[in-house]
Amino acid sequence: MDFSAALPVADVVAFNRPAIDWHAASPELILLGFGALLTLVDVIFLDRAKQYTAALAGIGLLVTMVPILTLANDMSETGPRVMFDGAYVIDEFSLIMKAIFILSGYVVILLSTNYIAEGDYWESEYYGLMLSAILGMVVMASSRDLISIFVAFELLSIPSYMLATWKKRSLESNEAGLKYYLMGVFASAIMLYGMSLLFGASGETILTKVNASLSSDPLTGESLSSSTPVLTLAVIFVIVGFAFKVSAAPFHNWAPDTYSGAPIPVTAFLAVASKIAGFVALVQLVFVGFYARADVFQPLMWILAAASMIIGNLIALRQTDIVRLMAYSGVAQAGFILAPLAVAGDVGDQALASIVSYLAIYAAMNLGAFAVILAAARKTGSTSIESMNGLFSYAPGLAVAMTIFMFALAGIPPLGGWFAKFQIFFAVVEQGGTWAIILGVLLAVNSVIALYYYASVARRIWADQAPDGDLTPIRIPPSLGAALVLTVVATLVFGFLPGAVSQFTDVGLIAGG
Amino acid sequence: MSDFLRSYLTVAIFGGVAVALVGVLLGLGSFLRPSRPTATKTMAYESGVDPVGDMWSQSNIRYYVFALMFVLFDVEAVFIFPWAMRLETYGYFGLVEMAIFIFILVLGLAYAWRKGMLKWV
Repeated sequence: MDFSAALPVADVVAFNRPAIDWHAASPELILLGFGALLTLVDVIFLDRAKQYTAALAGIGLLVTMVPILTLANDMSETGPRVMFDGAYVIDEFSLIMKAIFILSGYVVILLSTNYIAEGDYWESEYYGLMLSAILGMVVMASSRDLISIFVAFELLSIPSYMLATWKKRSLESNEAGLKYYLMGVFASAIMLYGMSLLFGASGETILTKVNASLSSDPLTGESLSSSTPVLTLAVIFVIVGFAFKVSAAPFHNWAPDTYSGAPIPVTAFLAVASKIAGFVALVQLVFVGFYARADVFQPLMWILAAASMIIGNLIALRQTDIVRLMAYSGVAQAGFILAPLAVAGDVGDQALASIVSYLAIYAAMNLGAFAVILAAARKTGSTSIESMNGLFSYAPGLAVAMTIFMFALAGIPPLGGWFAKFQIFFAVVEQGGTWAIILGVLLAVNSVIALYYYASVARRIWADQAPDGDLTPIRIPPSLGAALVLTVVATLVFGFLPGAVSQFTDVGLIAGG
Repeated sequence: MSDFLRSYLTVAIFGGVAVALVGVLLGLGSFLRPSRPTATKTMAYESGVDPVGDMWSQSNIRYYVFALMFVLFDVEAVFIFPWAMRLETYGYFGLVEMAIFIFILVLGLAYAWRKGMLKWV
């Protein structure tokens, strides 16, 4: 029986089934499938499922790597794969970022396994939420559309708010989650307002089309030599929204409290994966969406980068808690990563390549530092900076690893960090203008300030006495040990063979769109 | 002015008329009516019942879980009704998509049920 005659209205718009490239979408679909499977297993088996959930989540992430590798393998033949009229793009940039998200998510799950099982935590939900946050990040890496970016942003943020409060009976953890949630919602609201202005001015949500409309006046249609107030406001609001996510000063206030209150694996997750996702969104917006308005985003990025480096480093000097120290050092690192965006309009893809290299190396060394903090806290039960004292005398392996991560974060050759910092510095100075040179000087000065507090942690490890003379060794569970080995190897390889990173991170967004 | 922005002109005129209409009616009312407040007249209106307690009263956290479950099915309805109207046009593609969507939502309900969220006591 034909119902269409009875419903004439329904026939007005014909339905065109969107062409879906299943191969390109398979990483997201696999993650979604494993997330649903985790919940299903939890619903069916309840407490009996607990011991398998961490392994299941880890396997899910490793399986997700398979289509990413096959897609990367096909990339030279097929070129970028575009879906939904350009709203969803799988290109080299998105694949390398997806790989970083999935691998750092895998390391976080390795860190979580014993920590979550031994504490008074809910287990199955933890890994389910972790997978959905990683799904949001993986979607973010391909989103080239205002709505997809917003959906991906919420998909990765909302599970993170809950994970930050995962120590259910601890007031500090509740405070951490509440602060993170309130600041996150505030940032979303600002960003949405900016996006609505962008849509109002251009009538488009696809970033490449937004970019095309930003170069002309929305009122007269004439091409613009400088910005109009509404476009300036729109660009600034959207960028400020993501500045909260990457904890760039002056929007960093939530980070230290959230980092120190949340469970340590979750802190590692927020400080690495979640922050990188914010940068991925910023990079896509700047290089694809706002590139025509370099006169707006460049000064803004200059201020954010300079303020983050200076404020983050100066406050980090006075910290007495190692996690808070890492939080402020993370603010300073965010300043470093934002610096190339201040010259992005002039140096183009070189700025992008330097950011992507930095993000890959940053993920390895920061996750490693949190792994050592986690291992040390297993014995000392505290994250105060004194708990690192004399680590060498009872855990020499951890001491060597922590020294590697601290000097890598400081940017001492031949460890990973130097290449990252060098590329950022090179991209900024390459532009050659007065402001770029000033920013380059700030980068150099801040590297020296940062060396002071990173080296003082190393000094405590090697030179000071262990608290109370307690020299019982630390028992490191296999999963934590695996995480440590992975991050140490990555940090060393990135430092000794920088070509191994730059070969993958030499990507472009501007031409490919 | 581009066509795109001109189409917003209707919205601006509509907004202006709406604000003016409310202003004129309320202004006219306050100009004409007598004003003799008493304690009973200024009391907060709670459906004709005398107000009890102050505004900062506590309510049971369980209502929150039910509110969340309500949102779950509310959102489901928003997507299912338009889909059901055009079921034939969407064909098997739409059917499979909706099956996946409902499966994920039902997973949420099953989770709440299995963890004992639906018991009141």
